Amino acid sequence: MRFVFYLLMMIVVALGVGFGLSYYALTDGRLFGVAQVGPWHAWPDVGASAPNPYTRGHLARTAAFELGQSEGLQFTASSDSDGQALTRDCSYSVQGKTPLATFWTLVALDDAGINIAAPDVAPAMHSANIVRTNEGDIQINIGTRLMPGNWLELAGAGPFKLVLSLYDTAVFSGFSSDESMPVILRGECA
Amino acid sequence: MIRPLLWLVAGAVLGGIIHIFVILMLPALAEQSVWTRVAAIDADNRMAILPPVKAGEPNPLGLDPELVYGLCRVDLSQGPAYVKGTLPDAFWSVALFNQSGIIAYSTTNRDGIGQVMDLGIFNASQTRLLAQQQLDVAEGLLVVESTSDKLLVLVRLAPPHDVVRGRFERSLANVTCGTRP
Repeated sequence: MRFVFYLLMMIVVALGVGFGLSYYALTDGRLFGVAQVGPWHAWPDVGASAPNPYTRGHLARTAAFELGQSEGLQFTASSDSDGQALTRDCSYSVQGKTPLATFWTLVALDDAGINIAAPDVAPAMHSANIVRTNEGDIQINIGTRLMPGNWLELAGAGPFKLVLSLYDTAVFSGFSSDESMPVILRGECA
Repeated sequence: MIRPLLWLVAGAVLGGIIHIFVILMLPALAEQSVWTRVAAIDADNRMAILPPVKAGEPNPLGLDPELVYGLCRVDLSQGPAYVKGTLPDAFWSVALFNQSGIIAYSTTNRDGIGQVMDLGIFNASQTRLLAQQQLDVAEGLLVVESTSDKLLVLVRLAPPHDVVRGRFERSLANVTCGTRP
């Protein structure tokens, strides 16, 4: 009787560890090949011709056209710099410097990957089309309610994520030590 | 006390084996890949322009709304492939995807290529033939060797402003792409 109990316990532990660890590795993945800079995370290996097994699993899950290693790198943030999840109830401000790149774009997506910018406005922020501070820093305001300056107007309600695509960038290539990413500050909430 | 602990350790080890198995099997078990997602697009040996991304609409391929995308499907078993054309003076990049969605090769026009894109894609035996015959490779031709025969060629072109998007799409559609038997 005791043997059966131990056997069942072992099977439960094995399944929990096996599938739980796999799910963690491909969603959060901080210990498994995901690079993290503040609230932003990226899979630096995603554009390589021989990616590691975890990146292969990530590629199989997304089944999207990823950026090649020489084309650029995509960063995703689903929480602000304080670690609170991004939600359309609040307004946010993305401030600071971006790593060296020819240009970059910033989009807001929902959980299904659908662009949630308000209709009739530009669906993305482009590095060439924004106003900068005197120091050359960026400040992009994001939210559903009217905001001054560069405003990425969102529609709908619920959680969202920000995707920053750096094109032709040197970040994580070993040629650049500049890995500073902008912060995401939370403003007023409804 | 020792015995239940041993069972737990055995469970954790078995869990580790399951984890490795799951991660390695996942790409083979995936029902969808970029290859199947673009299967309906008529891009065999021609440059097809992907529809622009609009807010509120599904975007399974994860495309950037600011870019213009051209897609071409080639099969190297029918002969070496070429991609040739002149693009507007703006940032563009090329990526070759194999059937499992892995990028076999990528480059940008910052690598000294300028506006003229001239790409020759060969598999291993075609590359060997090219070397044996000691053919003169035309200046500016970028020779790419691929390990897999079936490839998707994805060209990303970045229009500096939305107004020129139509013109950029037209000039990308004029890029020739295909295999030479």
